[in-house]
Amino acid sequence: MNEFVKKSLSTLLAVLAIAIVPAHAMVDDALSFAHEAAQPYVKKGFTVREDAWGGDLGVKDQQAVTAQLFKGNEYWFCLGTDVRNAVITVHIYDAQGKLVETESWQKGRFAGARVTPTKTGTYYAIITVEKSPEERTGWAVVYAYK
Amino acid sequence: MRKTFPLLLTVLVLAATTPCRAQDAPASIDLSKFPAAEVEDIVVPVPSEVFLVLDKLGTPNWRAEVRKSLGKNTGNRPQVALLLGTVIAEGFIAVEAEDAEKVKEIGREVLALAGVINVRKAVIARSKSITEKAEAKNWKAVRVEFDGALQDVRGAMEELGDYDLAQLVSMGGWIRGTEVLTSIVSKNYSQDGAELLHQPELLDYFTRKLDAIKNTRLGKDELVVRIRKMLAAIKPLIGKEDGSKISIDQVKKINAMTSETVGAITSKGA
Repeated sequence: MNEFVKKSLSTLLAVLAIAIVPAHAMVDDALSFAHEAAQPYVKKGFTVREDAWGGDLGVKDQQAVTAQLFKGNEYWFCLGTDVRNAVITVHIYDAQGKLVETESWQKGRFAGARVTPTKTGTYYAIITVEKSPEERTGWAVVYAYK
Repeated sequence: MRKTFPLLLTVLVLAATTPCRAQDAPASIDLSKFPAAEVEDIVVPVPSEVFLVLDKLGTPNWRAEVRKSLGKNTGNRPQVALLLGTVIAEGFIAVEAEDAEKVKEIGREVLALAGVINVRKAVIARSKSITEKAEAKNWKAVRVEFDGALQDVRGAMEELGDYDLAQLVSMGGWIRGTEVLTSIVSKNYSQDGAELLHQPELLDYFTRKLDAIKNTRLGKDELVVRIRKMLAAIKPLIGKEDGSKISIDQVKKINAMTSETVGAITSKGA
């Protein structure tokens, strides 16, 4: 491999690294905030799942995440974003598209919704980026149960 | 002024520290309008999510559900991935039984099986932590460690490009968890207990993952074929709609199918 090709390859790899790393970092940071949002519920006896959902969305975009919930348990879905001054929300719907959460809140880069399922089955957490200073806003959701 | 200032201060402090109620959400939405790309796959529940409900419904004899043998490792990668899933599920059962020795044995076995599929490094810390927390009888923390072990194993397998095998770990755990759920509900039937089997999206998710296996050899693996058939046979038994009644006969049929499959994974191998 000649020197020019080596340099070009290194530059290309560096550009790719810059392009790829922030996307992962964005979700990792958002996940830390989602876990932070869940901390008050851990103190109330909830167990936070290690598995999580995450991604990035544009302003006013929505994403649905699918969850299997069991009647008899109580759940908190906790959402976080790495973007300061972004406003994100999470709301829980059943398989028929009916809002089923018993409580929800939004504060800064955090949001949460609580559901006590009356039936065992499939539920959807709808994530919305209401406002954001960034074009794409990284988000992550964890859920806790007890 | 003296009276209003503290009041104003209190209001400001409360406003700054109390989360606001989320913006009003529509009372209903049309889920069919969500394009597939905007719907994320389901997170597979861990057995303890179901076991917790069973504990609320009665007093299951968890010790009777713990298997003496954790199964044989044949060295066949799909079998080992499925076996690892069943062993992690066994960990959740042993936690319910509060059997510290079994939990420690399972922690060691998780490490050994992870080694067979080249992801030992990912679970060394978890295995150690499982032992320490089991000795301290901190059962809630042990549950978290088993959940973490499952995610760490899957994550490490995905990093190695073993996406399909990673799915098998989750499936193994689900099958063993469902075997125990149906065993307990069969012994003390209640409609609420049986309703825990209503997991249509999860069954569809597993089926989609098996159908999407690109490796022809893995797709034709004896255990993979068996699980595909089992999922198709279970689907009509778990109720069509949320809240549908699932009879004791249906519960027993699912128990027989999952028991046979666990038997195939743990003793015969592929």
